[in-house]
Amino acid sequence: MIGVSLSRWTMSFFAAALIALLLALGLMAAGYGYPSAPVEAAPTLIVVHLVAIGWLSLLMCGALLQFVPVLVNRPLFSDSLAMPALLCLIGGFGALLLGFLWLDGQIEAVLPYFAVASLLLGLGFGLVVWNLAGTLMACRPLPLPARFVAVGLASVVLTAMLGMVFALVRGGIVDDPRLLDLAAQGIPLHAIAGLGGWLTFCAMGVSYRLFAMFMLAPELERRGTRAALHLGACALVIAVPGGIVAIWTGRSLDAVLIASAIAGLGALSLYGRDMLHLYRVRKRRAIELNTRMAVLAFASLGLAVLVAIVLAAFGVLQRHIAVVVFLAAFGWLSGLGLAKLYKIVPFMTWLECYGPVLGKKATPRVQDLVVEKRAEKWFLLYFISVWSGAGALLYGYPPAFRVAAAAMFVAVAGIGWQLLRARRLADVETGGRFPEGVRQPSLLHSFVQRT
Amino acid sequence: MTVEVTDALAAQVREALRLVIDPELGDNIVDLGLVYYVSVGEGGVAHIVMTTTTRGCPATAYLKDGARDSAWSVPGIEFVEVGLTYEPPWTPEMMTPDARSRLGIADKGRW
Repeated sequence: MIGVSLSRWTMSFFAAALIALLLALGLMAAGYGYPSAPVEAAPTLIVVHLVAIGWLSLLMCGALLQFVPVLVNRPLFSDSLAMPALLCLIGGFGALLLGFLWLDGQIEAVLPYFAVASLLLGLGFGLVVWNLAGTLMACRPLPLPARFVAVGLASVVLTAMLGMVFALVRGGIVDDPRLLDLAAQGIPLHAIAGLGGWLTFCAMGVSYRLFAMFMLAPELERRGTRAALHLGACALVIAVPGGIVAIWTGRSLDAVLIASAIAGLGALSLYGRDMLHLYRVRKRRAIELNTRMAVLAFASLGLAVLVAIVLAAFGVLQRHIAVVVFLAAFGWLSGLGLAKLYKIVPFMTWLECYGPVLGKKATPRVQDLVVEKRAEKWFLLYFISVWSGAGALLYGYPPAFRVAAAAMFVAVAGIGWQLLRARRLADVETGGRFPEGVRQPSLLHSFVQRT
Repeated sequence: MTVEVTDALAAQVREALRLVIDPELGDNIVDLGLVYYVSVGEGGVAHIVMTTTTRGCPATAYLKDGARDSAWSVPGIEFVEVGLTYEPPWTPEMMTPDARSRLGIADKGRW
């Protein structure tokens, strides 16, 4: 149907992502991985990748499959690539976790886990990037928010390539000295390309458009926004290709990372200023819960930056880098992701169920699919727990961190339950829930009805 | 058909379009100012020109089809043509004062 951009498999991406997040939080609450184990230990790597690939990347892929067409006002390049991509990503991710367990001596090597993980994750991310880049390529020159996403897609390619190198080296499959050097020293580059490039850039691009839409604010295409894009892209080029060159030529990686951090800080400051501007000039005075909670995610990003600056000023950033990464991953990216899920799931469910009967029957509003008051407490619990967990990490108190992780688990389970209710139309008044022609949606697949 | 009859039909079509809501804002497309033009010509042919709150809105096709179906439900309407335009782009100033008040939209300041 012309003009309809309902991504069929986005709900499956979201479901898999939420399961991975709950699993990661459950492990953290049980004391698995950092801070109970060293940063480089296999349990920590399992938790980190559960969050980075299982939760954040699957969430971002699902969201982009739905919203890149909105950013560029064109249909998705292919509707049939999403499901194979999801299967490859889940399969590859599973193989990666098995590889870490094998490294830890927990299981036998039945398969070359890291080789399988490299192949499937490379293929999965490749299919997602191919689909989204194909959509973007068809509508150049790109609007500014879509350019952020384009940089994010370039970053996920770099992140995946670095990850594949690490996996092949750890699996003993390659032994080229340059790749060994890269695997030994390149972890910060992998993290910057993933968290800073892929996830943060895509979140920035989508938020420029969605926040203007949800708050009824004029879309921004100003000099500061372009400067944020260029400075951020510079930070990534300095950190990743620049960092690889530094490693291979035996130069100091610290100087490269400091230069990248300065450019990145400039980009984030400009982005923060833009978000504040959108909030101030919004026409919609009473904003919805998803936007209010996104404000807490932005606050967490600001807090992460502030903590990084203070730690760097005292010369202890390297020792406490986990605090900054934790705030960025759980306060900023996960907080924003959960907040936006609370909008996207009801919105997509509404489109699927009530879009086809629009004009024929009276329909509920998107807001009628959710009960904000009920969800608000879970979001507040989530953010308070994240900030408490960051404090526990900073002061080196693992039992308090585990309590915070357990509270985050409960909060995410509570939010997940509200999302499930929205998807099942459970909160829509009984009389208007199923007008003629409307049926209960599937949990994992969006069915596009023709009118 | 006389001018009086077509004008009356156009008014009924406009009223029928209130059944179509913008899912995001949750109000009907007439009061939101998303319907730019409604006319009814010879033979009961309705012409509607409308917009959406933003380009690329995932609900665009449903809104357009919904406008067609609700207009078609008016007795005397034999055919409906719905055109989509983004000129001029929609702004909150196009909403009726009542809709602005219902949705808590600020009156002050320009877009």
